[in-house]
Amino acid sequence: MTRTLLLIVLCSFSLRAANSDSFLLRGGTVHPVSGPDIPNGAVLVRDGRIVEVGAKIAAPKGVRIIDVKGLHVYPGLIDSASQIGLSEIGSVRETNDAAEIGDFNPQVRAIIAINPASEHIPVTRANGITSAIAAPTGTLVAGQAALIHLDGWTWQEMAIAPSAAMVLQFPVIQARSGSRARTGAVPFAEQKRNYERRIQELRRFFEDARRYQKAKAAAPAGFETDLKYEAMLPVLEGKLPLVVQAARERAIKDAIAFAEREKLRIIISGATDAWRVAADLKARNIPLILGPTLALPAEEDDPYDKPFTAPGELYRAGVKFAFGSFSTQFARNLPYQAAAAVAFGLPYEEGLKALTLNAAEIWGVADQIGSIDMGKWADLIVTDGDPLEVRTQVKMAFIKGRAVDLSNKHLRLYQKYLERP
Amino acid sequence: MKSTILLLLLSLGAAGVHAKPPSTYAIRGARIVTVSGATLEKGTVLIRGGLIQDVGANVDIPADAWVIDGHGLIVYPGLIDSLSTLGLAEAEPADAPAGQRRSPPAAQQTPARGPEDRPATTSWLRAADMINPADRRIESARNAGFTNAVTFPQRGMFAGQGAVIALAGERPGDMVVATPAGMYLTLSTAGSGGFPSSLMGVMAYIRQVYLDAEHYKLARQQYASRANGAQRLPYDRALEGVLEAPRILLPASRAVEIERMLKFAAELKTPAVLYGGHEAYRAADVLRKTGTPLLINLRWPERGREEDPERMDSLRILRLRELAPSSPAELAKAGCRFAFYTGGIPMRDLRKAVKRALDAGLSHADAVRAFTLSPAEIYGVADRLGSIDRGKIANLVITDGELFAERTQIKYIFVDGVKYEPLPEPAEEREANR
Amino acid sequence: MRRAGVLLMAALLPALAAPPVVIRNANVITITKGNFKGSVLLRDGKIEAFGEKIVIPSGAEIIDAAGQYVMPGIIDPHSHIASESVNEGSISVSSMVTIEDVLNPEDIAIYRALAGGVTTAAIMHGSANAVGGQSAVIKMRWGKNAAGILFGNAKPILKLALGENPKRRGNPTGQTPPRYPASRMGVEDVIRQAFTEARNYRDAWREYEAKVKRGERALPPRKDLKLEPLVEVLEGKRLVHAHCYRADEILMILRLADEFGFRIHALVHALEGYKVAKEIAAHNAGATTFSDWWAYKMEVADAIPYNAALMFKKGVQVSLNSDDAELMRRLNLEAAKVVKYGGVSENDALAMITIMPARQLGIEDRVGSIEIGKDADLVIFDRHPLSSYAKVQKVIIDGEVYFDRDRDATERTAREREKKALIEKARERQKQSAAPARRPS
Repeated sequence: MTRTLLLIVLCSFSLRAANSDSFLLRGGTVHPVSGPDIPNGAVLVRDGRIVEVGAKIAAPKGVRIIDVKGLHVYPGLIDSASQIGLSEIGSVRETNDAAEIGDFNPQVRAIIAINPASEHIPVTRANGITSAIAAPTGTLVAGQAALIHLDGWTWQEMAIAPSAAMVLQFPVIQARSGSRARTGAVPFAEQKRNYERRIQELRRFFEDARRYQKAKAAAPAGFETDLKYEAMLPVLEGKLPLVVQAARERAIKDAIAFAEREKLRIIISGATDAWRVAADLKARNIPLILGPTLALPAEEDDPYDKPFTAPGELYRAGVKFAFGSFSTQFARNLPYQAAAAVAFGLPYEEGLKALTLNAAEIWGVADQIGSIDMGKWADLIVTDGDPLEVRTQVKMAFIKGRAVDLSNKHLRLYQKYLERP
Repeated sequence: MKSTILLLLLSLGAAGVHAKPPSTYAIRGARIVTVSGATLEKGTVLIRGGLIQDVGANVDIPADAWVIDGHGLIVYPGLIDSLSTLGLAEAEPADAPAGQRRSPPAAQQTPARGPEDRPATTSWLRAADMINPADRRIESARNAGFTNAVTFPQRGMFAGQGAVIALAGERPGDMVVATPAGMYLTLSTAGSGGFPSSLMGVMAYIRQVYLDAEHYKLARQQYASRANGAQRLPYDRALEGVLEAPRILLPASRAVEIERMLKFAAELKTPAVLYGGHEAYRAADVLRKTGTPLLINLRWPERGREEDPERMDSLRILRLRELAPSSPAELAKAGCRFAFYTGGIPMRDLRKAVKRALDAGLSHADAVRAFTLSPAEIYGVADRLGSIDRGKIANLVITDGELFAERTQIKYIFVDGVKYEPLPEPAEEREANR
Repeated sequence: MRRAGVLLMAALLPALAAPPVVIRNANVITITKGNFKGSVLLRDGKIEAFGEKIVIPSGAEIIDAAGQYVMPGIIDPHSHIASESVNEGSISVSSMVTIEDVLNPEDIAIYRALAGGVTTAAIMHGSANAVGGQSAVIKMRWGKNAAGILFGNAKPILKLALGENPKRRGNPTGQTPPRYPASRMGVEDVIRQAFTEARNYRDAWREYEAKVKRGERALPPRKDLKLEPLVEVLEGKRLVHAHCYRADEILMILRLADEFGFRIHALVHALEGYKVAKEIAAHNAGATTFSDWWAYKMEVADAIPYNAALMFKKGVQVSLNSDDAELMRRLNLEAAKVVKYGGVSENDALAMITIMPARQLGIEDRVGSIEIGKDADLVIFDRHPLSSYAKVQKVIIDGEVYFDRDRDATERTAREREKKALIEKARERQKQSAAPARRPS
């Protein structure tokens, strides 16, 4: 009860603080992630940006001081895979906007479909996640993923990178056709043919896009703009990474080969079997979006703890990765993906990085977010402990220096029904 | 095709030209594997009137007997395929594992709403009434040494009543040796979204049917004793069929299924025979304890040709594939009752399949028994089939070497005392199969 | 003769009675008897003693758990692993089916759950229909057969289901004809019908028995496997677990149960249970819930992670369940979320995955806490079980170590080796079968 009251008090305090995006946080342990922890440190924020981090910062005149004694300050966590803002209620079609019809939709943009009023936003940030990738989930070239702040009146205000990556759902051969395998409904040869057809279609699309690129450069008379190919240009020019969804070993290998052939910069996402191809990934410096770590082993004979140990193995192999929730309803549990990996061999600092700085680097926004460093947005969370521990409470959160409301639908319903006579 | 017509003509000729063909044979000086008793190194089998009239080291050969010189030959009882669809018009479904076949959608027009609708149940069907002597597989099986098969309708949960048939005969009625041989059950679901749609639903259904049958019997007796003034009973052909069956056949391949079905059979209070048995090497103990016989499918589990070559099979599956052929040896060692069935494998693969069981430690004698006396005992026809004994039906297979050995050739087959000689396989087919 | 007998006894004794096991130097969380640093003594599959200082019997096997945490084995009151069926969804009342028929003791999910500290689970029929099937309570005795994993003498349970799932077939999207019910109104009707039928059925049997007693000639009623379990519910011999989400349907099933005179032992999921916590507590129903699931369908739009805490504060016996082979591996962290959301004490949170589910399954006299005489089902964590970093080190069921993290590592290597050899052999077989057979001479 007292705990709840405290929370409410803190919330309202945060709200009051929201009218200013300049302040000095001090008295807590600062975990910049990019460097060593600073006990009894301070972070000075001005106009939403971090202007100073250190053990002792003199409070400039007129700047509000927030005392966080006994608490911990971390950079806001980044969810590198979600449908936040694109999906509200899983089973209600009308509330889902993550998937389009058709195989090739590079022109569709997640950012403009983000619902800033989604209940998922306050629920997720209440656990310290301050930004997230919201990615389309359609077939093959699914569209452009957005990197957003989990705060803002409009999607425009929320955007960190309105187009953070192009999403490609890599085709798969159904390695297991479940009960259908029993009746032999789809023989492997046929599945493989279908798969090869899909790959061919994909290659043709990239080839067409390149021909378009060439034609456009030559600017012949009567050249007509095509939105699909137009959207592919940044990908072909290496300005926009291609985030490839590939889970199993074969798909990952094929995706790597595809990227080689097409000379594309890729990020592999949802790579369950990445540990099987760690050397290949390292050799090509392909970054990964891992997850979910809290998953079952892919094969019956895999060690029971394979999903937990895999991130540590990848780290030791030199592969760079960040974690994603691959969810909307469970996005708030993102830190526990890292915790499971840490429990089973990933160094703690690396687990934390995979939630912050690594993610920012992979998405090309390390100059803006991902650590507590000068010049970056003041995306900060203040906790009473290690954010990877479930029992830890997030006490305050700042996005672009604004204190965000940690209340949400869940807390409101709780308070309401707690009072039911 | 041509060869079939030829054979058909030959057999018709035999029956047609001679009203009473000579029926007395003496196989003299052969090695005789009686199966029921000691093997005679040099003995004679006397056949008359379709029966084994005598067998022994010193048998008086009557003057009218046609003598076959058995020097260098071995006489075995005719082989019995203990679970098949031989002689039934409907072809064996593709190589779907037994017990997992889907029922034909036609059998279920509207989805069943419960056990009362008797879904996927044709317990009243009798294989004996459905025999088609023109089934081409009969000849092929006979050429491989099979003189009998136990044949069953196999679609649905209660598929129907089996029959022990002879693998020769002109008319369907000639071929039936014993009926009903048992009720064939599968654990297939009803399909069309009707009841039952799950394994546990199927088991609940079967259980309810047995309770219903018991109740039906009681009600029928009461009604028969005093019909006047009593409400008449509906006739339930499904239950009639169930009550008629002397035993039930239940599918059980994995060890967990064997244990599950043994428990289930005990609950149903009906004599049961299990079929499948690939993982029986892990269940010998419990099979011996219950004394329930097991029919072992000689189609040993292997990775399907159409499977993804990169797919990783689990250790569980790999072990099963390696060890399934050791099941017969393990059961023999434990003293369990078991018989073989060919599971629809091509006859040319039979020796290879048996060889795997032999390689895994099964004795040759036990292998022969699993194809002869054991199935005869399991189906309660050991008084007429399964061994070379006086008075039994003269079903024999005569070879020039040990049965199942790679170079052994089958010289003669006797079915009901009628002699057949296997035709060589058509040459091109032989090549094509390699 | 006597000598032979003695010899025989001597030979059998070690096999019959495994040596007692002592776990010592552990941080012991008993759930019902407080926490302490000390030892637990296990003998013959039961907990014989525990305390800061206990007498260690000679010959005891010692497990040194210095710095580690020992708690009762985790109990998952709602799971679908180890079964070859989940739903008999073809009909609205499928109470004739039972999970016990189709247990699969070789489901790898058992081992994985074991490695997550789970020792007991209720394997439930799914929620596709209003009156589902009968469940089976199992222990994670990995390596045993179907009979060997059964909890043994657990009370039978019947599953009911309310809300979106049972009415889904009433609003089919494909070509299947609709199946009643299509609304929450119909769901109640189906359940009421079923129990009314069960009452009539019970009366028919009573009438028959009375006739027999009077010496009258009578035909017994047809034994109906669908209605038998419902009669057991009416007679209080079978527990009821009801899948539900919304407050309205929770209240409905409580009132219906009141009317027919039985108790709902567990409201399963009950994500809006917090809205009617008072009513749930008054009925003395338990609730088994998810810690933080929400938003996956319309009926969980108002689900909140404070549900468990709020119901608990209002006097409901609350447990957490997985309903999922993956979540089942980390129920301890689900308990941690109840601490996080709503501030339940750590001990009460752990009770939600031990003694509370045991009560909801009617097995609290045997499992769910460290008490003398209870089954020796324990889990040893390297850290406090509510820590995100806690790893299960050992799991003991009936005094026997079923999971050991070190042993797992050793077995891994052996299994890999065996697998490699078997793949090689299979390859060899395939080569042989492809090679032309020698032509008979």
